[in-house]
Amino acid sequence: MVASAVFGLGMALFTTRELLQKKIRSAQYVFWMSLWLGLILIGVVPQFYSAILLITSVLGMYTPIHFVTTFSILILFTVVYLLAKRVSELNEKIGLLVQRIAVQSIKGEADRLTEKEA
Amino acid sequence: MRVVCVIPAFEEEATIGQIVEAASGHCDSVLVVDDCSGDRTGDVSRRAKAVVVRHILRLGAGGALSTGFKVALKTDCDVVVTMDGDGQHDPHEIPSLIDPILKDQADIVVGSRFLKERRDMPFDKRLGNRLLSEATSLAASMKITDSQSGFRAYRRKVLDYVMHRSMDYRWASEILIAAARADFRIKEVPITTIYVRNRRRGANIRDGLRILFSTARHERR
Repeated sequence: MVASAVFGLGMALFTTRELLQKKIRSAQYVFWMSLWLGLILIGVVPQFYSAILLITSVLGMYTPIHFVTTFSILILFTVVYLLAKRVSELNEKIGLLVQRIAVQSIKGEADRLTEKEA
Repeated sequence: MRVVCVIPAFEEEATIGQIVEAASGHCDSVLVVDDCSGDRTGDVSRRAKAVVVRHILRLGAGGALSTGFKVALKTDCDVVVTMDGDGQHDPHEIPSLIDPILKDQADIVVGSRFLKERRDMPFDKRLGNRLLSEATSLAASMKITDSQSGFRAYRRKVLDYVMHRSMDYRWASEILIAAARADFRIKEVPITTIYVRNRRRGANIRDGLRILFSTARHERR
């Protein structure tokens, strides 16, 4: 529990620095900070761990680690989905950019194709 | 009618020169889209008197073709012919390809490798093409025997209206389905194809599955 709190604190500081350096967006900051705060709370406030135990029993899971693992996998699936979507969008934009650069680069040469527009 | 030939090419220095020279005899101008080749494809094409447009990153066959279409549409062309840069298509068949457009019988003419009896196409390619053509025919609600053929002719108004978005091999089916749904007239003419043994470039099984999936998505619309 102490290890998770130390790790959470370290990552929270790192994430805050990333935000201040404008390397991540505020929405991303909120997402990751909530995760790090959860880790810190597990170490600092023992009652929080009790809350996890309660959720575990309500969900009918054997141990808290089952709950944490399942929950983490669900979060990771969501993150992978969002990243794949973003990569696909960026791929499309890069394609359009490459085409635009290519079309603009032949302006002079394209006279031979009897260009309509300059 | 003014005819522009668009040839997408990736590392085709061995064949592109001859193709450009032969195509120039049947078209008013030839445009080679060099898809970030690592060899001298661009130089060889220029020497053969083609206009060359180069991608700074490799986009794939569909991306290279749509760049070619965008450049061609900036000109006063009436017909755009597309063909592969690997020597698979015979440029001397361009007149028979554009003939139905000149006679106002079609808006798109697809050079079909299957309208002639042929045995030299590798079995896996024949099977894959057959499957994809059936799926494309279903989505386009018309019989298309060779949906993956890159040897085609388009009337200008088709490209003004329909432009594919796929950067990979899906463009071939995508543009046919979109054109058929927009009620453009599509016609196929037989072409001869030269297959080079041991050449394993072109769409693979993964590309085939992607085309099939994207065609199925079109069908549901």
